Amino acid sequence: MSEREPLLVVDDLRKEFPVRSGFLIERVTRTVKAVDGVSFAIQPGRTLGLVGESGSGKSTTGYCILQLVKPTAGSVRFKGKELTTIGRGELRTLRRDMQIIFQDPYSSLDPRMTVGDIVSEPLQIHGVGTRRDRRLRVRELLDVVGFNPDYENRYPHEFSGGQRQRIGVARALALNPDLIICDEPVSALDVSIQAQILNLLKDLQRDFGLTYLFISHDLAVVRSMSDDIAVMKDGKIVETGLADEVYERPKERYTRALLAAVPVPDPRKMQERRHERRRLSHSLAQG
Amino acid sequence: MALLEVKGLKTHFFTREGVVRAVDGVTFSVDAGQAIGIVGESGSGKSVTALSIMGLIPRPPARIVDGSVEFQGRDLTTLSDRQLEDVRGREIAMIFQDPMTSLNPTLKIKTQITEVLDRHFGYSKDEAGRRAVELLEEVRIPNASERLEDYPHRFSGGMRQRVMIAIALACNPKLLIADEPTTALDVTVQAEILDLLEELRRDHEMGLILITHDMGVVAEVADEVAVMYAGQIVEHAPTLELFDHPEHPYTEALLGALPQLEGEDVREGRLLSIPGRPPDLIAPPPGCRFAPRCPYAHLGDGCADNEPELRRIRQNHLVRSRHPASERQREAAPV
Amino acid sequence: MSTTDPRDAVVAEPAVPEVVAGAGAHAGAPMARASLWRDAWRRYLQNKGAVIAGAIFLLIVLFCLIWPIISPHDANKVDLTQARQGPSLEHPLGTDAFGRDMLTRVALAGRISLAIGLGATVAILVFGVIYGSTAGFFGGRLDNIQMRLLDALYGLPYLPFAIILLAIIGTINMWTMILALSIASWFTAARIVRGQIITLKQNDYVRAAQALGARWYRILSRHLLPNTLGVLIIAMFLELPGVILGEAFLGFIGLGISPPDASLGSMAEEGRSEYRANPHIMFVPGLAIAILVLCANFIADGMRDALDPRTRETKEG
Repeated sequence: MSEREPLLVVDDLRKEFPVRSGFLIERVTRTVKAVDGVSFAIQPGRTLGLVGESGSGKSTTGYCILQLVKPTAGSVRFKGKELTTIGRGELRTLRRDMQIIFQDPYSSLDPRMTVGDIVSEPLQIHGVGTRRDRRLRVRELLDVVGFNPDYENRYPHEFSGGQRQRIGVARALALNPDLIICDEPVSALDVSIQAQILNLLKDLQRDFGLTYLFISHDLAVVRSMSDDIAVMKDGKIVETGLADEVYERPKERYTRALLAAVPVPDPRKMQERRHERRRLSHSLAQG
Repeated sequence: MALLEVKGLKTHFFTREGVVRAVDGVTFSVDAGQAIGIVGESGSGKSVTALSIMGLIPRPPARIVDGSVEFQGRDLTTLSDRQLEDVRGREIAMIFQDPMTSLNPTLKIKTQITEVLDRHFGYSKDEAGRRAVELLEEVRIPNASERLEDYPHRFSGGMRQRVMIAIALACNPKLLIADEPTTALDVTVQAEILDLLEELRRDHEMGLILITHDMGVVAEVADEVAVMYAGQIVEHAPTLELFDHPEHPYTEALLGALPQLEGEDVREGRLLSIPGRPPDLIAPPPGCRFAPRCPYAHLGDGCADNEPELRRIRQNHLVRSRHPASERQREAAPV
Repeated sequence: MSTTDPRDAVVAEPAVPEVVAGAGAHAGAPMARASLWRDAWRRYLQNKGAVIAGAIFLLIVLFCLIWPIISPHDANKVDLTQARQGPSLEHPLGTDAFGRDMLTRVALAGRISLAIGLGATVAILVFGVIYGSTAGFFGGRLDNIQMRLLDALYGLPYLPFAIILLAIIGTINMWTMILALSIASWFTAARIVRGQIITLKQNDYVRAAQALGARWYRILSRHLLPNTLGVLIIAMFLELPGVILGEAFLGFIGLGISPPDASLGSMAEEGRSEYRANPHIMFVPGLAIAILVLCANFIADGMRDALDPRTRETKEG
């Protein structure tokens, strides 16, 4: 789409978790390679869909990019700065530009804080504006995400999953980030609510020029949100490309198996998809 | 005679805050060898329906307040607990959503399978052991005889679900109820499990009730689909018919809200979303329960006052709405 | 969600006619859900034992606070002509060896015992929170070291340890009692707090705060500690009986507050020599100790059951 500098460049990212075992003295016996050499780039304004089954390492990749988890190796360049090596102060400042929306609407909001407090926290942390300014901004943000600002003094437990996700989105938007990592943002929601949140995310991207890394296991959801796709398996990326390309002309066997496995709401396709799955499972190594 | 006939089933929960009308008048039937999918979002009452059939609702606070569940002519709601226990596992089996918690972590797989065989048939140890191996092989678990000696934690989610199916099949039940059996599983594993259920159903001529929120899953597995909303069935039709000609505004909206795997403009387009939320089941709206969210409910057409009946709109196609799709085209276009 | 938000409108797809969101869609109103505290309070009230114990405890506390102010007797006035009298109208609980009114003395002693109990409990919580939250929050090697240390300290017997501490400190007054008792028994509280912090750390809202750039002290003070409140209250009431009893015991073996001040324990010690002839001099403070400890136990159990997370309602989307 453009020849501009990518907003985010991930190069050979790795994250290993040591497995400790031992009776009296704990020793590291082996490591689990959650992220095993992942590389991709995202241009400003585009959405990269990161797709994979559970255990593929997609969420860990997201956390590593934001430095919420310290990568074992590899590089993460955001807006030209190398996140793995910059100082704490600089990282803190850069955090204003990269945010995250979590999957679980129940654990992603502090139950002891009001909705208003939750959304204004980013502003407080970075000392933006006066108390009054912040309150105005919070109301503005809640309105933008379709959440009634009059409920800013209520508590999260008073609201449904979909409404809570909206609060999470408002919080992520507070500091006007350039990049938002969406970690399975609709997986915990009912289909009809899912649609509301996905539409909201699309609108926000358009209105605010956001760049998304959209992580999900749901291939259909990812399809509707992404420009580019990366398919992950066991910590590695097995296929990347434009969304249309990967979905319509998948090259890798794993990608084809994944696509064939998705239950599609079209009863006519059932037989042919079943045959396709059977064919692929005979040739696909079980792993 | 149908294998299972549910008529006017009403299961209510009597709580401090009021009476939750979780299932409020559900009627459908299942024949031998037939698969019916019950589809709905959370709070629709689909799981409570399944549990009511099996007599597994927590009593208190829940109670079946009306209706009947006739299995091969016998009304299960009138049976004592003891009699129900004889039916459960033997004639009707159930598998649940979370494979991680539905197996006892302290018992070997072998014990959990043979337990069922012992309870209903009184097999000897050897006979039960042999049957257990057969069952594991039938659900395609490799190295079945060795795996019998393992504990559940040595199995992956998909494998555990297969074990659950094996336990369910142990007594050759006539009816299998599967409550969101694949929701907690990865997509590839999900497909395998669904394919397995299909095969087993055909081989054993079992009736299958599949409860799910996923329209894709019912498209793959079910012969008939019943869509539930706020404790009631709002549409019921053969699968192909439902997807080709959805009648109820909720069904249409549900289908429209699904992100598509293929198609044009998937990236740019917006998904159909249903404004609002499902109603409070303690005080459901008078009249049609979907009316507050329905784009076709106007003032003065009675939608908000009278509850529509489940009526036959076409051969085999039932719908509970005053504005089903095929009648809308004939109405004057709304302003 | 405001119902007039255009984003709520159902947008046209080719085959479906264009429509607008139905009016009256109760989209954005919060759902009425009982708060966790109200639920806990209701559950607590269902526990008859806990309610009665709570009432008795409260009455005793009020009595200890108010009675010495309105009592016609001076608790420290020695009047040998009235010595060793049994219960009477003028002295409802009799008098002690020095002719002092027992009822008033017990109220005053109760004040001190309760103050020490409360003070020590608060101190235990403070030590426990500091130690437990640092171990739980920072984890890793620090946590390991801290826990090994705790394991070692656990092995020390509570009262002898308190006695040794008092000996080291030298003087015995209310404050040193509080210090000695709390230092000897903060370990369980630390464990509880650590466990709770570790559990809470798993929540996404902690990650969210990190992603926002919050520094560790903000996460600890604003997100983690406030959410340990429930657990802390339970821990507090679980410690209280032990501390009251501990102080009573120390007083009874002669390591109590110096006269003329008295705690319930030292009052009981004074009454020991009078036991044969005038048992009430020892029984009255002894009974007071027993009632306070029993009530505190019942209250603690009641609170723990009421706040038990397993019985909390689960939310659905």
